[in-house]
Amino acid sequence: MKETLSSVVIKQEWDIVGARQAGRQVSQELGFGSVDQARIATAISELARNIYLYTDEGQITFEEVRDIPKVGLKIVAQDQGPGIKDLSAVMKDGYSTSGGLGAGLPGVKRLMDDFDLESNESGTKVTAIKWAR
Amino acid sequence: MRVPILKLHNYLLVSIQIELDDQTAMEFQEDLLSKIHETGATGVVIDLTSVEVVDSFIAKVFGDVVSMADLMGAKVVFTGVQPAVSMTLIELGIYLKEVPTALDLEQGIIKLRQELEEK
Amino acid sequence: MDVKQVVLNNSDYLIDRWIHQLDNKSLKDYTSTISDDMINQMNQEFADFVMKSLQQEDSKIESLDQFAEKVVNLGWPFGYITEGLQTFRTESTKFVLDQLETNDKDEFIDVMERVNNWIDPLKIRLLNQYSTNWNNILSMQKLALEELSAPLIPVMDEITVMPLVGTIDTDRAKLIMENLLNGVVKNRTDVVLIDITGVPVVDTMVAHHIIQAAEAVRLLGATCILVGIRPEIAQTIVNLGIDLSQFPTKSSLKKGFETALQMTEQHIVSNESKHEDIEEVLDSIGKES
Repeated sequence: MKETLSSVVIKQEWDIVGARQAGRQVSQELGFGSVDQARIATAISELARNIYLYTDEGQITFEEVRDIPKVGLKIVAQDQGPGIKDLSAVMKDGYSTSGGLGAGLPGVKRLMDDFDLESNESGTKVTAIKWAR
Repeated sequence: MRVPILKLHNYLLVSIQIELDDQTAMEFQEDLLSKIHETGATGVVIDLTSVEVVDSFIAKVFGDVVSMADLMGAKVVFTGVQPAVSMTLIELGIYLKEVPTALDLEQGIIKLRQELEEK
Repeated sequence: MDVKQVVLNNSDYLIDRWIHQLDNKSLKDYTSTISDDMINQMNQEFADFVMKSLQQEDSKIESLDQFAEKVVNLGWPFGYITEGLQTFRTESTKFVLDQLETNDKDEFIDVMERVNNWIDPLKIRLLNQYSTNWNNILSMQKLALEELSAPLIPVMDEITVMPLVGTIDTDRAKLIMENLLNGVVKNRTDVVLIDITGVPVVDTMVAHHIIQAAEAVRLLGATCILVGIRPEIAQTIVNLGIDLSQFPTKSSLKKGFETALQMTEQHIVSNESKHEDIEEVLDSIGKES
């Protein structure tokens, strides 16, 4: 069972903040604790920044997922950018092509419960789920 | 929006009360460094009590501020890091090992004094 | 053909065969820890109960629950119940079919069905009783575990102790970390002593969680001291190549506490000046001689 809760377009730098505020709000509504809210907001921030840094435009969608008896928040970050060339390298800690800390994608994986990354020449799609305790 | 930087004797006090976006964070970094240069401050306390989210970019800015201020002869201490922020940073794999921390503003100033005396 | 009547009329014979059959089966495995007398008594009761359930269908629900409660409370293995009922089914069907002396398929199926209608409800009820009981135990234990998961004990100004007891998995580690960090901020703690005396195994995963907790505490502006490192834990930590050198470790809570006192510039002063008394006595003895 899926239900789309909201969606944010990432085009400008300020949209990163907008995305994580939206994420914080939906996670609050789904009943996540304060620490999980911070985890989710941070993960969204990382995903949104990747879209902003490496592509022209992308979108982050929040969905409610149910897997009885659990409730979860699914975050889908999608763009039509050039794609990620070396998928295994971006999942390594400390790998960065932009001078960052290289904690983005592997960090998101650690902050969330489920994580999936798909990428080709026509775009990248990251799916991450956090289950409410 | 800019982050206000207050001067108290040899110290600079900063309390970040707004949601930091990348732009504001970079501006803050510049403002702080020029203020250090202007005042010749030897210590800086940055209070993060009201900061709810620190992602890898903001963390990098913070880490950089510490190294840059150090080059200019000023010690930086971060205070009031929230438990949720601390946990998220650790899970992201960001340990900020070079960044001195203290529980609150008061402890932060005590820590600065200790570090400066040691030199 | 009334299966019920046939079974009831020959219940003694059937029960005998049933018990005989049980002894031959692997049931012994389940009940090896229980005395033979006890097994005999239980078997008799079990058999009586099954027969009774056939006799008086109306009142069977109540007696069924009673019996189920009894076996569950006595902790009889579930395998005993299923195998016992299974054997009953086989023996009864065999017996009734022998009596019939028929090769008619329909009649054969009819007998099977009647026996099933008798045995199956019993099995389902007993199974439910067992699973309800298991679920209750499980949720109670989970609750109990959460309750004693990670208490944070302020012992002095600026010093807090967190004793960890039991196995640490990822979920518990997160809970512990949350309690730890919130407690540090709430109590304005300078030094936290994490006591792992009660943690049976420290593998790379557990060590990783402890290191993360210590790093997170440092980010808040406090210090972690890891105490209660037993010799075997020290051995495994080094053998696994885990680096715990970034934060202080001590073998006992006592030693860790002394370090914590030094770090927070506190002292414990004894009210009784015993040492001085003894010195005075020694001095006076010296003068006399």
